[in-house]
Amino acid sequence: MAQFWFYVFTLVFFLFDYFILAMGLNIQYGETGILNFAYIGFVAIGAYVTGAVSLPNSVGTAQQYIFGFNLPFPFSLLAGGVAAMLLAVVVAAITLRRLRTDYLAMVLISLSLVLYDVINNYVRLFNGADGLYNVPQPMAGVLHLTSNAFVVFFACVTGVISLIMWAGMSRITRSPLGRTFRAIRDDPDVASALGKGVFRYQLTSMLIGSFYAGIGGGLIIQFGGSFNPTAWLPGETFVVFAVIIVGGVGNNVGLLMGALLVETLLIHLPAFLPDIPGHAGLIEYIDAMVIGIMLMVMLWFRPQGIIPERVRHFALPAGELLNRDGHSVEAPPETMNNAASTLSASETHEGDRA
Amino acid sequence: MMTYQDTTTPAGGDGPILRCEGITKAFGGVNAVNGATFDVPRNKITALIGPNGAGKTTVVNLLSGAMKIDSGKVQLGTTDITNMERYKIARLGLMRTFQLSRELGGLTVLENLLVAPKVQAGESLFNIFFRPRLLKREERQNLERAVEILRTYGLFDLRDNLARELSGGQKKLLEISRGVMASPSLFLLDEPMAGVNPALIDKIGGYILDMKAQGVTVLMIEHNLNVVERICDNVVVLAEGRTLATGTMSELRENKEVVTAYLGEIINAGPSH
Repeated sequence: MAQFWFYVFTLVFFLFDYFILAMGLNIQYGETGILNFAYIGFVAIGAYVTGAVSLPNSVGTAQQYIFGFNLPFPFSLLAGGVAAMLLAVVVAAITLRRLRTDYLAMVLISLSLVLYDVINNYVRLFNGADGLYNVPQPMAGVLHLTSNAFVVFFACVTGVISLIMWAGMSRITRSPLGRTFRAIRDDPDVASALGKGVFRYQLTSMLIGSFYAGIGGGLIIQFGGSFNPTAWLPGETFVVFAVIIVGGVGNNVGLLMGALLVETLLIHLPAFLPDIPGHAGLIEYIDAMVIGIMLMVMLWFRPQGIIPERVRHFALPAGELLNRDGHSVEAPPETMNNAASTLSASETHEGDRA
Repeated sequence: MMTYQDTTTPAGGDGPILRCEGITKAFGGVNAVNGATFDVPRNKITALIGPNGAGKTTVVNLLSGAMKIDSGKVQLGTTDITNMERYKIARLGLMRTFQLSRELGGLTVLENLLVAPKVQAGESLFNIFFRPRLLKREERQNLERAVEILRTYGLFDLRDNLARELSGGQKKLLEISRGVMASPSLFLLDEPMAGVNPALIDKIGGYILDMKAQGVTVLMIEHNLNVVERICDNVVVLAEGRTLATGTMSELRENKEVVTAYLGEIINAGPSH
């Protein structure tokens, strides 16, 4: 029975963790239109830095790595988020000013491959192909948690962190900043002609998304205790893309749905299934094919995702419900109900209008 | 009363609001703009006319920073804006529309206007998390102004529609109203009447006159000479990337060079609209 709950809470952990990762990619791609094909690189940096600052000094251990500060949770996690943001500054400086859309995507995927090779081969950085291991489990010692209890505990911690990050992301996407991001996504030339410094906003979006990537990566290494290059093959970026395309680009609730379907049910649940007799590892391949087919079906029949981006409606201030002659102007019921308030926004799904 | 002018922009002063001195632009050896020189007088409506390929849209692209100038100088008020970044030029009060309407399709009509104010406190992460009252106040002010403009331009009932769902004429109106929302000192309109029905042409002409009455200077590319005659105070004629002549429409009709290069073909082709 304990084993069952271990599985369940492992799935819960990946659900919330990929929700965080999906929110990070969504603000870059879904809200601002930056096709970040290097996203998994930011996740990896978050994971490695979180691990390396959590571990003690590497002198005298079998591993080689930088930092080794013995930093406690959650500071180790924040360090991972900040490290991913620093990488974003470098990547943005190289790419965002000069490149757009598909060219930007090609350069980003190239940078991701370069980063992968550097970390894989330069052993002194993060222990090369072996990666980091024996990373301390946060609070496990203080709370005297067994390994099963730790899984339950950390899945819950990740759930709380993801909810806080969801609240923060919702605040950003509903703000004028989120609106400017979407203006840049729709037409950067028009946004620029309206006085918006496109690079500055794209950089902001990259920083926010990278912070989420770094935190998501940091949680993975704190949960599993290890992280190596097999965990972040450049193709992994497309799993996160699959999460947001299936769930709904530009919609935070859709992202949770995408994380549930793609990451939890299609990728991690089958890992717990017994092998098909005589065909060891076949399930993994079937899995990859199902995700690919699902992605194609979604892009063909429902490109807006299961829960599409929301169309923002604004309730008007009371005075605005009168026209210039002082006559009442028709307004939707929710607007009338909220007329006394200065401002509130309601949303309907774009797909519902079709 | 709807207010247009943003008095905080440095385009103030008494002389011409825009001075364009000998600007050139070549594309692969072809001189699209070849020394265009003209002034745009303050608080007037100036038309930029000329045959197809004269370089009118390229001039607008150069003035607004969408393209780099090869040589020459552009001054907005007292500020040299030659090859300044596009968004910085916009922040100085120079707004533009595009020849083919470019709406922000994934935003609603209302959001298209709300995004327009050049600098918003709500675009700062610090303010989003730590100054919610400021955001709310600013958003309310912007919302009130946007609603007023939408009513003026007849788009109020479409406020919650996605901009990509609008018709061609409605997109033209949206683009102009979005520019107005940004409080321009100088508004460059690239063929605002192109592809719209005669009734809407009259309406747009009225809106442009209304802008002028509120202190906005307009420079518009227009092929419809009836409209130019009716609403424009001043006309600049471009041909082969050069300024051929400037003056009022009646003065230009007497100018043989202008008649030969441009007006002749229009007159021979019959009245437009």
